[in-house]
Amino acid sequence: MAQSTVIQAPGLSTFLKSLKTTPVDPSVEHLISLLKRRQIRNSRPCAIATTALLLRVVGEFKGRDAAKLVERIRQVGRRLTSAQPREVVVGNIVRRVLGLVREVVDENADGQTPTGSEAPTPVPQHDSLHRPTLASSMSTFSPLKHAAAEPMHVGVYDGNMSDSGELSRRPPLLTSHTSYAPPSAGPLVNSLFGLFSQPIDTPSATSTPSGAQSPNGKTTFTQQNLERLGELSRGQTSLDLKGEVMEGIRELQDELETSDKQIAEVALEHIHANEIILTHTASTTVQKFLMYAARKRKFTVVHAETYPHDHTATHGVLLTGKKRESHADEDDEDDKWKPLTEAGIQVYVIPDSHVFAIMSRVNKVILATHTVLANGSLVAAAGAHMIAKAAKEHQTPVVVLSGVYKLSPVYPFDIDELIEHGDAGGVVPYEDGDFVDKVDVENPLYDYVPADLVDLYITNLGGHAPSYLYRIVADHYRSEDITL
Amino acid sequence: MPPKGKKGQDKGKAGEEEREEPLQAVILADPFETRFSPFTLERPRCLLPLANTPLIEYTFEFLANAGVEEIFVYCGAHRQQVEDYINRSKWSAQSSPFSKLELIQSTSHSIGDAMRDLDSRSILVGDFLLVYGDVVSNLPLEGALAAHRARRVKDKNAIMTMVLREAGTTHRTKARGTSPVFVIDPAKDRCLHFEQMPNRDQTHFLSIDPELLSDHQEIEIRQDLIDCGIDICTPDVLALWSDNFDYQAPRKGFLYGVLKDYELNGKTFHTHIISDHYAARVRNLHAYDSVSKDIVSRWAYPLCPDSNLVQGQSYRLGKGNIYKEEGVILARDCVINSKTVIGRGTSIGDGSVITNSIIGRHCQIGRNVKIDGAYLWDYASVGDGSVIKKSVIANEASIGRKCTIEEGALISYGVAIGEGKTIRGEHRITRAKRRRESNEELVRGDPDLEVVGKGGDGFEFHDSDEEDEDEIVDSLISSGPMYNLANFSQESISTLNSDSEADDYEIRHDRSTSGSFLSVGSQDSQHAANFDHDASHSIHESLVEGHESANIQLELTALRMSTNASDHQVRRAVVSAFVKRIHQLINSGEAIKGAVAQIFGQYQELIDRAIFDKSQSDKADQVDFMLLLQADLSHKESGDAILLSAATKLVELDSIEEEGIIQWWEDNKSSENDDMKRVREKTKSLIDFLQQESESESEEDSEEDEDSE
Repeated sequence: MAQSTVIQAPGLSTFLKSLKTTPVDPSVEHLISLLKRRQIRNSRPCAIATTALLLRVVGEFKGRDAAKLVERIRQVGRRLTSAQPREVVVGNIVRRVLGLVREVVDENADGQTPTGSEAPTPVPQHDSLHRPTLASSMSTFSPLKHAAAEPMHVGVYDGNMSDSGELSRRPPLLTSHTSYAPPSAGPLVNSLFGLFSQPIDTPSATSTPSGAQSPNGKTTFTQQNLERLGELSRGQTSLDLKGEVMEGIRELQDELETSDKQIAEVALEHIHANEIILTHTASTTVQKFLMYAARKRKFTVVHAETYPHDHTATHGVLLTGKKRESHADEDDEDDKWKPLTEAGIQVYVIPDSHVFAIMSRVNKVILATHTVLANGSLVAAAGAHMIAKAAKEHQTPVVVLSGVYKLSPVYPFDIDELIEHGDAGGVVPYEDGDFVDKVDVENPLYDYVPADLVDLYITNLGGHAPSYLYRIVADHYRSEDITL
Repeated sequence: MPPKGKKGQDKGKAGEEEREEPLQAVILADPFETRFSPFTLERPRCLLPLANTPLIEYTFEFLANAGVEEIFVYCGAHRQQVEDYINRSKWSAQSSPFSKLELIQSTSHSIGDAMRDLDSRSILVGDFLLVYGDVVSNLPLEGALAAHRARRVKDKNAIMTMVLREAGTTHRTKARGTSPVFVIDPAKDRCLHFEQMPNRDQTHFLSIDPELLSDHQEIEIRQDLIDCGIDICTPDVLALWSDNFDYQAPRKGFLYGVLKDYELNGKTFHTHIISDHYAARVRNLHAYDSVSKDIVSRWAYPLCPDSNLVQGQSYRLGKGNIYKEEGVILARDCVINSKTVIGRGTSIGDGSVITNSIIGRHCQIGRNVKIDGAYLWDYASVGDGSVIKKSVIANEASIGRKCTIEEGALISYGVAIGEGKTIRGEHRITRAKRRRESNEELVRGDPDLEVVGKGGDGFEFHDSDEEDEDEIVDSLISSGPMYNLANFSQESISTLNSDSEADDYEIRHDRSTSGSFLSVGSQDSQHAANFDHDASHSIHESLVEGHESANIQLELTALRMSTNASDHQVRRAVVSAFVKRIHQLINSGEAIKGAVAQIFGQYQELIDRAIFDKSQSDKADQVDFMLLLQADLSHKESGDAILLSAATKLVELDSIEEEGIIQWWEDNKSSENDDMKRVREKTKSLIDFLQQESESESEEDSEEDEDSE
């Protein structure tokens, strides 16, 4: 009925719509309440909403003081993360944006010294952000240190000091940029090095072939860097902090959009003909991955239905290729694809309880995830732990697909804190009065899967061993930002 | 009914217009009941904490969830507190999802009045949601709204959709004692008949119009539904309320009545039965208990403590549904068992065991305390070695050492219990009371050391009036501790009040029940409805504004002339306006006697001008007046007390002569049903007194009568 669209329940799409018209602060509140009410949930919507919001925050930021901008973003970030601490992705995005700001600042501070075309006139506020000592903490990053890394205003350095600081920080930066190109494109020197040192980032033994890289992204980044070089040489006395950060955020948005595709592109290297693949949940990433492989290969999919929270979506995905019928109008391109069966793939849906029984015949387990933690463990939809454990028992490789944006610098000190508990009514119908009264029902939405149960992570940057993830974390997040 | 095809077209257009209209909602923050006394003496019900979050937050969350844009909050008592709260909350901030949030203060004393008042304000343009200030629900309403709109397009007479939650045969969240029975045509989701059990005759028989059986292929009679008080209404509903000025309660009165008159008005009600989301109302203490449990056990997810709905909350969920806010201080060997919520700044001493309880912020709990199933609100403190079972302890109350609080006890704000006391389950201890003769809202009562022990503060909620005490204690014992208070119905205002709470004199509850008139002579109620309504309204208005009685009289006369109303109607209007005003005064803290004296004393003229039989021996007018008064009061809380005061005052003023009173007493109508009998019980003492006196002084009286003529 046409009128059913009159009142739209709040959600991601209404938020994005209202974001255009409402000023920033109410929008922050709006997102907070949506997060609290779980009207925006799961990693991708949260990430999209957060980036869109931060884009606005930066866009409406007045003033040119980078330190203030950082503080502002942190403040927004703190509120967002405390609204729903278990959507770790929100914090990730905030940290990435903070990293962007620092990047831009650093780049302007030290990008000019080597080019030397003009006398570097560092804008005073940069100094407050210069943290020579942090250079080492980048590479030797440890979660235990993050408490000590609360570095907002370390005082004002004079020009000399910051220069000397750059010297000391340059070498670690080189390595730190090896495995990725920052979307905002680092300074010329760094990214050129990054270009050359790219092969390093597939650690020989642990990872999949380097084809898993996304080379496209790289080249564009370098192009941008070249452009930026032009800008730099034209004169950087007045730095367009906001503009650069916003551009960086837009690139982050692009990353969110393309990460599924980039992950899917390596599918053929992991899925071979006539394999039996086991997966669960209605994850878009996994479905696209399998679809990509299905173009060329024939294999069999065994799908655990993830009762009780995701089974309807799972069934929907398998039957129609859409997660929910009711939200047909939103997420058009994201939520619509052909079901696997249409590509000629045999799909068996099994209840979660049968996973162990069928595991002996499975060649590979592919899991989607909610969040990946810095130590290589992950938080995924409930049932994942059981699947991973069963796979371990049968020595079946477990592959986890995850965009880099899901990778979090958080270490799982308290696992219970990370697990969201959902509506008990999903397990036992609320109508059952006796049950409700006398039995405690728990319905965890997520499982914590320890790192040793996972064999390989595939991100939009390629494949990584769980033990290697801390490096990617260190590359993407500044240690200053680990604690928001 | 009008032809369908044409209607459909019209509605198609209207439907388009509706799309432009924002979705509006009315929150009845004051349900005009006294289920939560003594707590509601000091705080409005909608601000009582449920799982450490004020009730109204849940309602707002629900409405925000449903995409509502404009909200009208209907306040009764404690308006200031509600207003302050809302102004400080995020809902009135710029970022609020509501574009409009308006408080409406009204003088109404029943839901019926509130609805009529709303109608007269005509602020609601399109379909609107009608909810109570105590709804807890995570239901997305699109489905129900879409169904409602679709029905409206087809049939303009489908005026209301009730959202009901399925809940098996036994369920803790269902209303106990009384249960609503819905007769539904499942094909059209139409509610055909409604009755609340036990029904008006106090029986458990449902009588269905035989026509319903012949007209409908299929009928469901359902008793397994939680009526969560969420109604999607059209403005027609308000109009209907206005047309039927004697409806008080939305279900028992309005729904029942309108469905019964289906032949007459042709309006239909529909149901939207849900089976997969949470929806409930905190309608009494029993529901308070069960909804709290539901929230803690995450049945109402995402409405859980760890969603931190209110700004500044920081609850975190631990294993076994233990929610702790930041800054909770726990001694090393205290034991926190499952399903517990603990607010910030609370400290719990060594060896204490907390199970199944909700503890607010900044509570101090000593050593070796055992708390099981209790609700401690902010700043409560419990001394070492005390045992607290399933009870409610309000803000800043302190329990001494080695006390025992038994199941069902209610301890109100600021009460202190001395060392070693045992508070039995039926006790309700408060510190606040309303004084009879003063204008002050609340006064602190003197502590009753018997109850609260040495060094304690507070007294039993109903200890001020000796003659009432036995009665009340009786009724409480028979109904058991608080969790059985639910035996009272959800909206049977009159039964609730008369059962247990109508009788206390001194402590006036914030909510009285009904302020409008109940028509005794129903034969003329239809055609002269306008007069009744207008007259009572205008008199009441004038009373509020304190006009001269002569002016009021003038206005009344004019109105009477223009509508050709009978004397009976005039009297009725006067009575209803007076009663309404008296109630209002009482609610604002006035004692009954004071209120009655003020109103009747000041406006005696009005009464005298409505009574024309002073010189006759048959005091028909006076009897009529008293009957009207009695009838009006019979449906109100503490009606009997008011009646006694009013009768005394009237005799004192000589507006009603003693013969009149006695004739009234002997009149059959004055004892024709239970309500009437009950309400006049107290007046018996006056009658006895008068009867003795009249023998000796009748002569004198009649002389005085002539004087006053």
